[in-house]
Amino acid sequence: MGLRAFFDRIEPNFVKGGRYERYFPVYEMFESMVYTPKTVTRVAPHARSYVDMKRIMTYVVIATIPCVLMALYNTGLQTNLAIASLGEDSITGWRAGLLSTFGIGFNPSNPLANMLHGLLYFLPIYIVTLAVGGAWEVLFATVRGHEVNEGFLVTSMLYVLILPASTPLWQVALGISFGVVLGKEVFGGTGKNFLNPALVGRAFLYFAYPASMSGDTVWTPVDGFSGATTLAISAAEGYGQLAAHSITWWDSFLGTIQGSLGETSTLAAMIGLAFLLVTRIANWRLVVGCLGGMIGFSLLLNIIGSDTNPMFAMPWYWHLVVGGYAFGLAFMVTEPVSASHTNLGRYIYGALIGFMVVMIRVVNPAFPEGMMLAILFANIFAPLIDFFVVRANIKRRAKRNA
Amino acid sequence: MAQTYRKLLVDPMVDNNPITLQVLGICSALAVTSSLAVAMVMALAVTSVTAFSSFFISLLRNQIPSSIRIIVQMVIIASLVILVDQLLKAYAFEISKTLSVFVGLIITNCIVMGRAEAFAMKNPPLASFLDGIGNGLGYGVILMLVGVIRELFGSGSLFGIPILQTVNNGGWYVPNGMLLLPPSAFFIIGLIIWAFRTWKPEQVEEREYTIQVAEAH
Amino acid sequence: MPEQGSGTGWWARFRALPVDSTPKTLAVAVALCLFCSMVVSLAAVSLRPTQEANKLRDKRVNILQVSGLYNPDIDVNKAFEAFEPRVVDLATGTFTDAVDVATYDQRAAASDPEMSDALDDDPAGIGRRAKYATVYLLNDEAGNLDKIILPIHGYGLWSTLYGFVALEENGNDVYGLQFYEHAETPGLGAEVDNPVWKAQWHGKELRNDAGDLKITVSKASPPADQQVYHVDALAGATLTSRGVDNLVRYWMGDQGFGPFLENLKQGNV
Repeated sequence: MGLRAFFDRIEPNFVKGGRYERYFPVYEMFESMVYTPKTVTRVAPHARSYVDMKRIMTYVVIATIPCVLMALYNTGLQTNLAIASLGEDSITGWRAGLLSTFGIGFNPSNPLANMLHGLLYFLPIYIVTLAVGGAWEVLFATVRGHEVNEGFLVTSMLYVLILPASTPLWQVALGISFGVVLGKEVFGGTGKNFLNPALVGRAFLYFAYPASMSGDTVWTPVDGFSGATTLAISAAEGYGQLAAHSITWWDSFLGTIQGSLGETSTLAAMIGLAFLLVTRIANWRLVVGCLGGMIGFSLLLNIIGSDTNPMFAMPWYWHLVVGGYAFGLAFMVTEPVSASHTNLGRYIYGALIGFMVVMIRVVNPAFPEGMMLAILFANIFAPLIDFFVVRANIKRRAKRNA
Repeated sequence: MAQTYRKLLVDPMVDNNPITLQVLGICSALAVTSSLAVAMVMALAVTSVTAFSSFFISLLRNQIPSSIRIIVQMVIIASLVILVDQLLKAYAFEISKTLSVFVGLIITNCIVMGRAEAFAMKNPPLASFLDGIGNGLGYGVILMLVGVIRELFGSGSLFGIPILQTVNNGGWYVPNGMLLLPPSAFFIIGLIIWAFRTWKPEQVEEREYTIQVAEAH
Repeated sequence: MPEQGSGTGWWARFRALPVDSTPKTLAVAVALCLFCSMVVSLAAVSLRPTQEANKLRDKRVNILQVSGLYNPDIDVNKAFEAFEPRVVDLATGTFTDAVDVATYDQRAAASDPEMSDALDDDPAGIGRRAKYATVYLLNDEAGNLDKIILPIHGYGLWSTLYGFVALEENGNDVYGLQFYEHAETPGLGAEVDNPVWKAQWHGKELRNDAGDLKITVSKASPPADQQVYHVDALAGATLTSRGVDNLVRYWMGDQGFGPFLENLKQGNV
């Protein structure tokens, strides 16, 4: 029996009047995962945009592929490097068992070994995210009678990429639950959320389990390995000292440094961003605003200078490649739902993020990383920015026609 | 009459809860709920201030000139708050240290003023007193509920007694640090309001807008 | 009401006025204010001794706790009699009678230009340091010095931490450390109150045999022979840990109790 025939046979049970009418969204989800849906979306799923959502979401997922590949490679690389420096004794756990069984080994100069080792960290986190987050999506879709949509695939992919590889799986589950339920579903689902759900989930973990999540120490999942992230080193000793920790600008740009799963590589994020810009999913004004805000404010801080805070001297091209800036710029700042919707508003919104990220990184003593908080902060202001832009526009036109 | 008194007491617990329905008194609910013992003392303090201020204001209600009635209410409430603050400092020093300024800020708690202005100015003393107790308890119930969640999952204990052994003390439970920060109470109160209104749909406010359905292109 | 309209006495005339009239408004306001202020001041005055006793008891409990003598069942004031409070002149490191030990308030003195010095070199972030400090000496039953309790404070991440250090009679071995007032982040910096972390301080040494101040709070674990001078930093609380490191080193160093501890060791205080 073909799968199509199976769907056709059970469909009457789920349509209006059928026995499982309530569970139509579940049916619809599985059907449209496999086949092109027969119907087109009728109610505005994307409350403020006319662009076809399925296309947007699919393209965003495609754009994350370079980051995913880099995540696999770099996670494996960092883990294998740590193992190499700590000796064979540090090889423990089921992942190591699996890799040894298949004779792949832990050689950090073997890309395949790195990829596979990284995959063994990436997959469990991704599967838990999909399962738990998906369960919430289906639950809300069923109760509220809307469709499970592809937005969730994007959310879960971004969420996984900004998590550290060492995150315990129960924390992964808790974070995505918080992100999906309180970041999105309470406001009515995809398209009505004013915050980025992936970031909400990440922020929840950041504040709930700060000892392991604040971006202070590194996240390489090998027992007994410790060190500091690029941002923590820069905050404590100045970016000039990064070289002493054998981190060069190019390492940072390519992404072979410690950090969350998928956000270390500026190059991979840039490839994704280029794809999104070419396909017109991402609005270039947001990118220009965000770069402008970051570069402008960091230049200003360079000029002001400070004797006690070495972060003041960090140049903009370092801000660009460390932490989550590039990843956030490519996939979070440009996210259409939670950004501003007017053209002028987009510049302002982007600039606000660029300004805030430098502000938090440099001036705030408690948090080394600022991209997540900066974006969430600007998310909240996006509707307000739009409101004033629209009002200024109305005023201007009224004057012109008066 | 007994029936009405009962209603005055019970109504503010669920059907007309000052926090979940009227969304009043939120600031202190955020600030003092990270430990259950503190939340309980705060609830008792607010209950006694609301009850006695309503009682005294109701006693004087026919003598209070309307031009200065808010000031008069404030003076009575403020005196009672200072009294409570002094008593706590004398007899519950540890807790008064954690409550610090928030006892003083009961003066600005909208529930107290709200009951004085909306109920005590128009009703006899006994009814006002009961209304004050009812509203104070309605506030207290939510405070305790938030306190239980925050202390249990934030520090793994209730009333300071360890329930979930935390990792730092050699146990298994990783405490959720966000619950110790005041903003977490926003989420919890939000979720409680959500639960209340799912249970009692008549509490849901009407929408001020309709969502437009897009035309088919 | 018979007196209404009789209109003879001023009292009757006053009573006949409507509630909203000016004289009545004034009268209500004055009467209420008088009454309320009386109630409030009565409460404040009559409860003051109990409150003062509470504050004092609180401080004593902290001192008892840091010296490991506290349990909830003891009579705090009686147990505290074992301690001898003395005022130390920080500059010379000797006991002084310049101020009365019973009334001296180090915290108030720190903001009094007469009683304190502004600091140029200020690693603990305290701005001004009082000239004198109240220390507590604990004698054992034979009358020999057993422990020394020193007050310390300094800036962490969000707030100034106030606490005590208890030292053994040699003035070099740490018995315990405890903060009684701070506003650090719950779950991170506030873990300075964590009993497991505090227990680490027990048995640490301030100085090595050559007399160099060695005690540190840091993330990196030193070699085994240096462990006795090392306390682990709090997980995820870099700045609070650094603050504690700075303030302990400041107060145990030459600008703090260093001269006093040196004198104590030489036996000439």
